[in-house]
This record gives sequence, structure tokens and C-alpha cells, in this order.
Amino acid sequence: MSDYDAIVVGSGAGGGVAAAVLAEAGKSVLLLERGRNLSFEAVGRDHLRNQRMPVYGHNAGPDIDGNPRTIEADSFPILVGQALGDLRLLRPHEPGYQNNAACVGSGTRVYAGQAWRFMPQDFRMASEYGLPKGSSLADWPITYEDMAPYYEKVEWEIGICGDHRTMTHLPAYDRPYPMPALPLPHKSGIHKRGLESLGWQWLRVPRLINSVPYNDRPGCINCQHCVGYACPADAKNGSQNTTVPRALRSGNCTLRAEVMVERLDSSDGGRITGVTVIDAAGERQTYTADVLVLSCGAVETARLLLNSATRHEPTGIGNSGDQVGRNLQGHYYPGAAGLFPDVMFDGVGPGCSIATCEFNHGNDGIIGGGFLGDEDIVTPITLWKRFYPPDAPRWGIEAKRFMRDNFRRINDVTGPVQEIPSPEARVTVNPRVKDKYGIPVVHLSGKTHPETVRSARFMHERAKEWLLASGATKVWGKPPPRYLSGGQHQAGTCRMGEDSATSVVDPFCRVHSHDNLFIADGSPHVTNGGFNPVETIMALAWRTAENIVKRW
Amino acid sequence: MFEHTQMKCLHALLDTIIPPDDYPGAVEAGVGDYLQRQLAGDLAESLSSYETWLADLDAEARAVNGTDFADMTPRERAELLTRVETGVVKARWSIEPAAFFREIVEHCAEGYYSDSGNGGNRGGIAWRMIGFEVTG
Repeated sequence: MSDYDAIVVGSGAGGGVAAAVLAEAGKSVLLLERGRNLSFEAVGRDHLRNQRMPVYGHNAGPDIDGNPRTIEADSFPILVGQALGDLRLLRPHEPGYQNNAACVGSGTRVYAGQAWRFMPQDFRMASEYGLPKGSSLADWPITYEDMAPYYEKVEWEIGICGDHRTMTHLPAYDRPYPMPALPLPHKSGIHKRGLESLGWQWLRVPRLINSVPYNDRPGCINCQHCVGYACPADAKNGSQNTTVPRALRSGNCTLRAEVMVERLDSSDGGRITGVTVIDAAGERQTYTADVLVLSCGAVETARLLLNSATRHEPTGIGNSGDQVGRNLQGHYYPGAAGLFPDVMFDGVGPGCSIATCEFNHGNDGIIGGGFLGDEDIVTPITLWKRFYPPDAPRWGIEAKRFMRDNFRRINDVTGPVQEIPSPEARVTVNPRVKDKYGIPVVHLSGKTHPETVRSARFMHERAKEWLLASGATKVWGKPPPRYLSGGQHQAGTCRMGEDSATSVVDPFCRVHSHDNLFIADGSPHVTNGGFNPVETIMALAWRTAENIVKRW
Repeated sequence: MFEHTQMKCLHALLDTIIPPDDYPGAVEAGVGDYLQRQLAGDLAESLSSYETWLADLDAEARAVNGTDFADMTPRERAELLTRVETGVVKARWSIEPAAFFREIVEHCAEGYYSDSGNGGNRGGIAWRMIGFEVTG
């Protein structure tokens, strides 16, 4: 008899959904989270230490000490971290680490909550575009039609605001969003007219935010600290205030924070029986369960599988095809900034309200593409570090006057580019470097496929066109170089497929070699769309968990 | 952390990077406090570079002007830093003058424009100046 029916590892977008669906179906669930359960005050408003601008640290984990990773020196265009032989040793806030928040709710605690459905074409990229040389581009084994009911479920049950009538790049919705779009900030209205003048499609950006009171929580108060911070009104819908409380309210779920899973435990026959964990006091414990769901994010899920090797699977669980950890994807974010003659800033947050999907597909000579949207409110130091014109003075009275005159006139547009997967963009483990628990750390290697960079350069040009159409008198920004991408939108490391030689999980996100081991995060994504992936992670987790219950 | 002469030099430097006008300069806004906190924490590894760079800056001021940097007029300081920024120096510097100056400028901006919880931007004065209002 196991301790629990199911153990879910990780309380982010996927883990929260999995815990809620399983617990509400009457299964006893242990939900494990390596990070802390953070209050609003604990997340704080440090403009130099947050998930958006981690100059000196993070506000939502992981701690900068004791959680290193290593990276090949040439996987990143600038010298990062500390030298460690031929490698670089990285702390979580340093570029190249591919961090996602470690706390109850994970990234959803501090995200912007942009809630995008992938497009039908995003699920069949190889069929649409063929196979670029050196790429592992493939179709998903499921389609948009398989996902649509789960997208709708996420929109209504977790809470997404938007205007379905403007989502003209997608098949018609069966149901509108449950809440209207957020109010349009002044600058978004200007950007909307810019798009109209170009004849480009525009839409209202759907968000996992209550635009009006919903699910017994209030509506957005339009503050200036949305992305990168916790919500002062509790109107932003993350796992910590939606799916995790649902799981707990069922009476069937136990949440344990500050518990790190060291490895998956197996029987002599190779069947997964549970986990060994290390808690904050350093105590090692084991828990058994009939079903395991891994929701650690694409980097840490791969690490856990690779660190759990057995006699039967000596290179890692689910890794007989040498696929675990490959095809790491995130999102390149090409964009541009511009200087406007009039004040753009009106302080109405969160900010990103208008976008165009004109260039997600159908671009001549480009594989896929992405959307472009206007930006959430940019804090002063973020503007200084990221969006300040390269030829403007940086010190002296002229620099001070420039900030004073132009902080509210500088505005940028940006968006995620669909990355073209490469098998060499990869998570492995480094047995020579251990974290604070003594567990071998993640090693990162390779780079994104060159086609990703081409798409990003294409989108960078479109961003400049849009800004000029919106009235910018001057635009700037650089097209990105080639590097390893992952970060907060990390995906792809345990790809979904029918064949265990070329994929890790089956179309219901079950690890091929096990009947009781599932993945519910971005890892199964074969490709990651030209969109923020969180709604897809949630929808896929819902489908996976529902199927686990159905086949119990 | 810094002895008196170094502190005088540092404050003169910070107020040349972000000078007072009808809004406070860097020092009055707390950037010195920000920097002291950082050099005892996240930027501890930069402390000795700061000490060296400030000493070299004073040597440069004496070579050019015959006085310490802090005893130059604001205009003279700005002119000297313009030369330092482009690497045109008279004294023998034991640290690359221009690259570390860019770092100091960055630290100064961090103190001035980030949240006052970091020690600078006292009372949110920099945000009032540029029009970044926090409403919730």
C-alpha cells in the first residue's frame, strides 16, 4: 500500500493543474515544491532583484547560493558566471542559467499571465515547413482540436480575460473568455492605430488576470508592478491562488514546500515507486505512490529523470532513446524600442494589451515566426538598462534631463519567436558539481538552431516598422545573436511522440517505459509556438491528469 | 569602508554622474548609501577596484588640475570624466579607466532609479522627477 495515490513534483503551471484534477477526482495527492510558500511581502518590489530584472538576485527563488548549474562557454554570447575548467559555473540570476521561479506557484507567482492558445499550425510545424537541416523539428502527435476543449477549460476554470472576437488568427472559439479584456492603456491605443495603419491584424492580449472580480477574488487594480512581481490585489491567476488551493480544498492534497526531490525510487523490477526527498533541515525521506507526475519545468524535470538512473535504465529514466534533455527551447524575444514625440506612459498597468499575430506563420522564407505585442510597464531602472537609446548620454546633467524628459516617451514592442528545435540544445547532468543538497547539477550545452535566429531578425524588423507606424521618431535595438535559449518559457526536453526512439512521453504525456510516470510541464512540447506557453502547459496538464483519472 | 578622502572623491564623482539641478543629485538622493550597501554585499568583489579607480581619479585630477577631484568645479569634473570616458588620461592608471567608469555609472543609475528600498531614490524622488507613479 503506497503512502499516496499520486505524487506531483512541482507546484507551477502544470503541477498545480495536475494536483487539482487528481485531488478533486478523489485521489490522495502529495504536492512537493522545492521553493518557499511566499507571501506578497516576501516577494517584495525590489527593482534589482526580481524575475524580470535579476541584476543581483531573484525575488521568487531559487536562492542565488547553493543552486548552481554549469554551461558550455560557447553556449552563451557573453562571458557569464565563473570559469570552471572549460565550463562556466552559473548562479540562478546570471544570464544563461535558464531560470524559472522556485516557490509555491513557481513562475505563475510572478508572471505576466499572458494567456495564449497555440495556433493549429504550431502543432504541425514539420508538415507545414519540412525539416530544416540539423533540426529535430517534428509535428506534435496531437492537434489543436485535441487541445481546444482544454484551452477553454483553463480559460474558464483558472480565469482568463480577453476578447475572443479579436483572436482572428485562431479557429472560432466555442465560448468567449469569462472576463472582458483589461482596460486599454493610452500607449496601447496608439500602438493599435499603428497596426491599423499598416493593415496588420490586432488583438486584445488575453491574460490570466481577473479584469473583473472572478472566482471569489477581486479584479485588477492596474498597478505598475505586474510582470516580475506578486499581485497586490490577488487578481493575477497563478497556481498559488487557483489550482493549488482547489487541490487543498478537496481535502485530498498535502502540500509540502521547501522539499527537494533527490531522485525517483524504483523497485527491483524497475517500476517507479515514489521519491526520495531532502527537506529544508537536510533530512532525507521517502514517499511512495502509485502514480508520479513530474512538473519541475523542462530543465529540472530532465535533470530528475537523468539523476534517477537504475539498473534497468542506466542512462536515466525514460532515456533509452537518448532523448531526455534534448531539444531545449524557450523563446527568443526580438523587439525594438522607440522614442515618441508625445507621452506614451499613463501608468495604467499591467500594460501589454495589444498584439498582432500577422507574422506567426506564412512569412516568406521564414519557418514560423511569432507575435508582437506592446510591453508591460517598464520600471525606470529596467528602461535604463534595456531600452535606453544607445546614443543618448549616460551620465552628466544631459543624461539626467534625458531620463526626465523621455522616460514616459520611450516605448517598446516585442514578442516571442517560435524556436526551431535542435537536438544539441541540451540539458544533461554534471556529476562533478553538486547543489546544496548534494545532487548533481544541470549542465547546459548547445545553442538554438540558426533558423530561430533568422526568424528573430525578421521579427526585429517588423517591430521597428510597427513603432514607426505608431509615430516613433526614432527606433533602436539589435537583432539577437545565436545562443542557448530556455528561461522562463523552457520546454521541449521530454518531447511527446508515438515512438520511444525519438520521444520521451506518449501523446498523453506518459513516459514511454513506465505505466505510472507522467510529465505535466513544458517538457513534452514538441515545439513551443510563437507564444507564451503557460496556457498550453496548463491545458496539456489538464488533459494528462484527466486521462490519468480516466484510466485509473 | 572608504576613508574620508576617498569618500569625498566618491561623492564628487557620483554628483558629476547625476548632478543636482532642481531635483537632487546622486548623493542627496542616497546613491552613496546604495553603493556602500552594495559594496558590502553583492558588489563586495568590486570594492578594491573602486578604491583603486578613485585613487587613480584623484591622481588624474592632480596631473590635470593640480587639485583633488573633489576640489575641482563641477564643470572641470565633467570635462575630466569626458576624457576618462574616452581613455584620454595623463596619470598612470592601474585599472582600465573607461571600462570601470561605465560600471560606476551603471551602479549610480541603479541607486538613483531603482526602488528606495535599495538605499537610493530617497523618498521616491527620482521616480517623481521622471513621472513613474506607483498607485497600488
